[in-house]
Amino acid sequence: MTLKKRYLRVTHLLFIILLLIQLIPEQSTKPAFTSSLVKFAIGFEVLVLVGSSLIKKEESLALLVDIAGFVYILLAAWSLATAKYNYLNDLLFPAPGRVIHQFVIDRDKINDNIKSSLITIVKGFVFAVAAAVPLGLIIGWNARTGSAATYITKFFSSIPPIVYIPYGIALLPTFKSVSVFVIFLATFWPVFAGTMSGVLGVDKKIIDSAKVLNVRKPEMLFKVILPASLQQIFLGCNQGLSVSFILLTSAEMINAKDGMGYYVKYYSDFGDYTRTITGLLVIGFVVIGVTFLFNKLQNYLLRWKR
Amino acid sequence: MTTNKIEIKDLTVNYIENKRSFNALHDVSFGVGRGEFVSVIGASGCGKSTLLSVLEGLYAPAGGSVQIDGKELHGTGKERGVVFQHYSLFPWMTTKKNIEFGIKQTRHDIKRTERSRIADEYLTKVGLSEFGGKYPSQLSGGMQQRAAIARALAMNTEILLMDEPFSAIDAKNRVILQELLLKLWEGDGTTERKTVVFVTHDIDEAILLSDRIVVLTAHPGTVNEILNVPFERPRSRADLVKTEEYGKFRNKLLSLLYNDIAERIGGDEVVL
Repeated sequence: MTLKKRYLRVTHLLFIILLLIQLIPEQSTKPAFTSSLVKFAIGFEVLVLVGSSLIKKEESLALLVDIAGFVYILLAAWSLATAKYNYLNDLLFPAPGRVIHQFVIDRDKINDNIKSSLITIVKGFVFAVAAAVPLGLIIGWNARTGSAATYITKFFSSIPPIVYIPYGIALLPTFKSVSVFVIFLATFWPVFAGTMSGVLGVDKKIIDSAKVLNVRKPEMLFKVILPASLQQIFLGCNQGLSVSFILLTSAEMINAKDGMGYYVKYYSDFGDYTRTITGLLVIGFVVIGVTFLFNKLQNYLLRWKR
Repeated sequence: MTTNKIEIKDLTVNYIENKRSFNALHDVSFGVGRGEFVSVIGASGCGKSTLLSVLEGLYAPAGGSVQIDGKELHGTGKERGVVFQHYSLFPWMTTKKNIEFGIKQTRHDIKRTERSRIADEYLTKVGLSEFGGKYPSQLSGGMQQRAAIARALAMNTEILLMDEPFSAIDAKNRVILQELLLKLWEGDGTTERKTVVFVTHDIDEAILLSDRIVVLTAHPGTVNEILNVPFERPRSRADLVKTEEYGKFRNKLLSLLYNDIAERIGGDEVVL
């Protein structure tokens, strides 16, 4: 790639425009913390430039630069509509600088809440996968139980897991354990169903080739049927994961003392919409981060597929 | 007759399709001697692959018997290695892992390091020493079959069952693979040859490789003729095709195969 192609991009012009916009005097009645936004934008631009110099593939570079371009346009529009011209109610719509500033002030609190949410998700999710995959393999592999269990699963997975919350509260001692329980249910059924449909769909030729090798039953299940069903299992896991985030944040808004949902709900009750928006954006980044890592894991485990 | 490695007697196999049972094989009998290479050929639908599934232990016959070393065959067995036309290898294991996994199934007493050494040895024998770390999806069809053969040989079973292993391979590579199999099977005379049942519809392949050829007739599948292949070993395709006997033998086989088809379509106007 030529230097021109690598560094001479419209995105960098957008970055400069964003900075120039910050020179416009503010009309907002609340402090806009423009310097926080400028620092953030510069930091982001540095990352984009570092990324541009490291990326080898032309398409990936274009993707990075385009995404950055969108970020600059959004930030520019946002700061024009709030801090600069105050088109929007500045109680409900904080300027971008305010949100960034708030994040920096609250970062320890936010970190703790993220940690609390993630621990709950990971517990419920890991328990669910650890239970659903072996059960799905065994029940699905057994010709007699396999198809019947598919119908039973359809019934149970059609119950939205959120309706278990009141029952969970009666059943379990702490609100944390209720959240884990609900996430367990939300993940268990799709993973169980995915595992079974994976098992039932394994190519007969693969099963035959394992049979003629005289593979014993445990190896048949975990070395042959499991990898052959892995893609379907991951479909179930992805579904479970996205439902888990919805459930957890909703649950945290009902009755929790920590977690990201709690942070958003708690401050919106006080009318602190800067923190509400900060919380929303942080949740977005956390979900994207977790999904990204999970996809990396999936691609690694399915690397033999093309 | 008890000296045969595999003894097939009055084998009858029914297939159920769309709730209708039809007779795929009827009263098929022949034996395969120890260390003998027998090909089964016939037009498509003659039941040759069904016959092999019975030998593999994947399909239960309706009547008759199959004995291996005088013992009735029940299900799959460690003394038989199989190479299919497709999907012999597990796509989630590298080529080498596939071979090691195969060795582990039949030879429990072999340690991990020894398994790895044997796998490398057979990868080299089939010309894949550089490809042990690749997944099957990264290999061509021909290379996948090489690996499948390497696995079957590395498992060191007494019997090798091969179900049209080369029929999905392009013509040039097919010839190369046939000669590779011939070389590996014939060996250097120091080791005992494996007993092979090889299903194919390729006449030249059958002649090049086999000691005997079983010709099946379709609907239902019955043994039409069993021919001894009258060519000295070690063989090479180049020498074989030059001889006059080769052409004669080939024609004889062709007529056995196609008379059958001509009879079935019921016309003398069928020109071949």
